[in-house]
Amino acid sequence: MAADVAAGTRSAAAARLVAARRLVYLYFRCLGQQMKAIMAYEANFIVLMFSAVLVQLAGLAFIWAIFQRIPDVNGWTFWQVVMMSALIFVTEGVGSLFFEGTWRLSYLVYTGQFDQMLVRPISPIVQVLAGAVGFNGLGNIVTGFVLIGIAMANVPVQWTPGRVLMLVILLVSAATIRVAINLASAASTFWIRSPWSMVPMFVHQLGDFAKYPITIYSVAVQALIVVAVPFAFVSFFPTAFVFGVEAWSLAGLLTPLVAIYAVVMAVWIFRVGLNRYESSGH
Amino acid sequence: MSHIRKYRSLARTSLEITFVYRAGFVLNMIGTVFYVVAMFYLWQTIFLGNPGSLSGFTWPEMKAYLLVAFLLNSLLTWYDEWIMSQDIREGRVAVDLARPIDFQAARFAGAMGPVPFEFCSALAVGAIVATVFGGIALPADPVHAALFLVTCALATLVKFGIVYCVSMTAFWTTGIEGIVVSRIAIQNIFSGALIPLVFFPDVLRGIAAVLPFQAMISTPALTYLGKLDGPTTLFMIGVQAFWAIGLAIAGRLMWRRAVRAVTINGG
Repeated sequence: MAADVAAGTRSAAAARLVAARRLVYLYFRCLGQQMKAIMAYEANFIVLMFSAVLVQLAGLAFIWAIFQRIPDVNGWTFWQVVMMSALIFVTEGVGSLFFEGTWRLSYLVYTGQFDQMLVRPISPIVQVLAGAVGFNGLGNIVTGFVLIGIAMANVPVQWTPGRVLMLVILLVSAATIRVAINLASAASTFWIRSPWSMVPMFVHQLGDFAKYPITIYSVAVQALIVVAVPFAFVSFFPTAFVFGVEAWSLAGLLTPLVAIYAVVMAVWIFRVGLNRYESSGH
Repeated sequence: MSHIRKYRSLARTSLEITFVYRAGFVLNMIGTVFYVVAMFYLWQTIFLGNPGSLSGFTWPEMKAYLLVAFLLNSLLTWYDEWIMSQDIREGRVAVDLARPIDFQAARFAGAMGPVPFEFCSALAVGAIVATVFGGIALPADPVHAALFLVTCALATLVKFGIVYCVSMTAFWTTGIEGIVVSRIAIQNIFSGALIPLVFFPDVLRGIAAVLPFQAMISTPALTYLGKLDGPTTLFMIGVQAFWAIGLAIAGRLMWRRAVRAVTINGG
């Protein structure tokens, strides 16, 4: 009897694992189709990548010019601020390259094309995430990682295997938070019926605040990017942890938990919105 | 006289379209407002740590600089480029070719139509930001205030020249998005939109001096603050006029070549 129950739970767990692997497989199959469509316009995607690199260089030139005149901003050094910017760019790159589809959701809902996703036997969230590829993301990821690498070389802390592992966990968590924020804000389209929902762009631009140390902002802005839309966990807290800034590094350890929280919230918001969805024309 | 009427009605139509489809405008506004607020906090912190002036800028002057940059960035948005390039990509220019109007002048009228609206909206938003951060430096004196308006007008002409040339590339490429983003990135560095050019080392300043972008933000902002002496101000206004005319001619040449390309594709 007990053995049966144990076998039952084991097979249930195995079934869940198979289902999860299937979702990942389907996600990459969908994304692959989008990749092919983009690769057809080769010159275009090279220019897009190049443009992302230029945007980052402009941001870097700005930070660099400031730190030519002053040694630190509120105690934050040049490489720490570079790290924050680079984290914003890398996670944005991950969002564009792998999950650009969130930006198309409002258009799909508006035109009624979203209905197609509902009749397919694949989770609509997976289909939305895999719905488009933004090749500018590749430029962001590469340049961002180069900057993170250089910034890491300037970290005054001893590198241990544990610390390296933590850096990887922080990077994955930061990207996860970013994508979850994108998905949640894209879901706003279920409430606002317009081909151009402002909410995703509005939320996305809040990320601008997280390019700089949160200590420069008023309490209201801090609350906004720490609690309401946790961009501070994409850039600021991970940077504080990696650089061993004592006042803030402990909060950096919360980043993986915030990532889980952000994903749960995003999926929940998306599901609530989906329940409200009545195809266009109703 | 009927010439002017044609283009004036195009400008009015374009303004009406902006009112109906506010999306592009609002998106651009949102994109820049958060950025400006972040900049205000950043510079506030910097000036708190370094009282007095940095590279000749005091905190009230820096606030004024940031707002002038914000104001000028709000005029003629990437939306104009996008609309123009969409018209080209989807072949609607064919209709324009059949009309008894000059394409460039028509696009200029279309781009200028919403400018008063963009200007007033940016001014309102800027006033709120300025109030929250405790006021900004006023123009150096009435003469500089008047010259500032002249430089703003010329800056807008230069910006149109660049936007028009970039839109023309849509005749040869399949997507203009990357080119527009590149244009904005380069412009942000060399126009002085991110930081006054005086903060840059000599090499970058030298490059900025020979590019048209500094005419778009640096010149009006420095004129507003009275940072340039009389002769330099007049010289910089001359440089603006040079770029405004030069880019308009370049745009015409590109159009002429492009129309040939269209004929080939269609025939």
